[in-house]
Amino acid sequence: MSQRYFEDVNVNDELEPVEKLPTADMAIDFFGRDNPTNPAFADAEAGKRMGVGGALVPGILKMAWLTQFVSDWAGTEGTVRNLRVAFRRPDVAGNPLVLSGRVVDKRQDDGKNVVELEVVTLAGGEPSVRGNVQVELPSRG
Amino acid sequence: MATPEQSLITDEHRATIGKKSEPTKAVVKEIDAHRMRDILEDRDPRYADETGIAPAYILAGFGGRPNRNMMPGILPGGLLTQQEWRFTRPFKIGEELTSISQVVDIRERLGGRYGYSVLITTANDFYDADGNHVAGSMITITQFDPKGAAREE
Repeated sequence: MSQRYFEDVNVNDELEPVEKLPTADMAIDFFGRDNPTNPAFADAEAGKRMGVGGALVPGILKMAWLTQFVSDWAGTEGTVRNLRVAFRRPDVAGNPLVLSGRVVDKRQDDGKNVVELEVVTLAGGEPSVRGNVQVELPSRG
Repeated sequence: MATPEQSLITDEHRATIGKKSEPTKAVVKEIDAHRMRDILEDRDPRYADETGIAPAYILAGFGGRPNRNMMPGILPGGLLTQQEWRFTRPFKIGEELTSISQVVDIRERLGGRYGYSVLITTANDFYDADGNHVAGSMITITQFDPKGAAREE
């Protein structure tokens, strides 16, 4: 994990895409097997009854991945301040997701170096989650 | 469902906006922090075993889900359509947080994939023992009538 500095970031910089393969087991283990979750996360038939076509990938698992994606890009001295997403389409376990992102703004905010990114999860090339992330980066100075 | 002649959002529903819940407690548990980190294969050294810091997405475990007790049930179907996480400072493993929820908005949507629907946004904020804000989550659930939605598709 390399460190990203505010001075080195430019609007329209793109993040290196990352692929994730969600599974039903992963969804249940993420929350903990003893914790109640939506049955459609573990049960493909329950997901099909909802019209999803298989086990549903939890929206907040995708948020967690996006948080990790941007945090890894920022480096250990960077801090994710805010993540705001819209869930556009359900995702089904077993179908790979590609996480992608782009810098849309950089500014000084109360003396802090704030970078704003647009992020997306793509399933079969189509966006399933779209979001904006604010991250604080250190300065080289 | 077809657009009703009168709004299904009543004064009683509107009265829930801004009312804060009773505080509840949430503990940042090591077992949750490490399990989530390992499932995500997150190798960020800030969240290594000995650091005492939990990854930000632990919020998914105790604050990232809708507080359904706070949410008026206006239509029978519900889908999570928008969510926001805000982090004021890192989570410390073992700390006990106080959570306060509230409904922040109720509005209608006419047309769209689900026909007439109602969007309910709730906020959940977490404070440490000194009363300082640690993190917050905001969730919008789109409530709709599944039968009506199916007819219109």
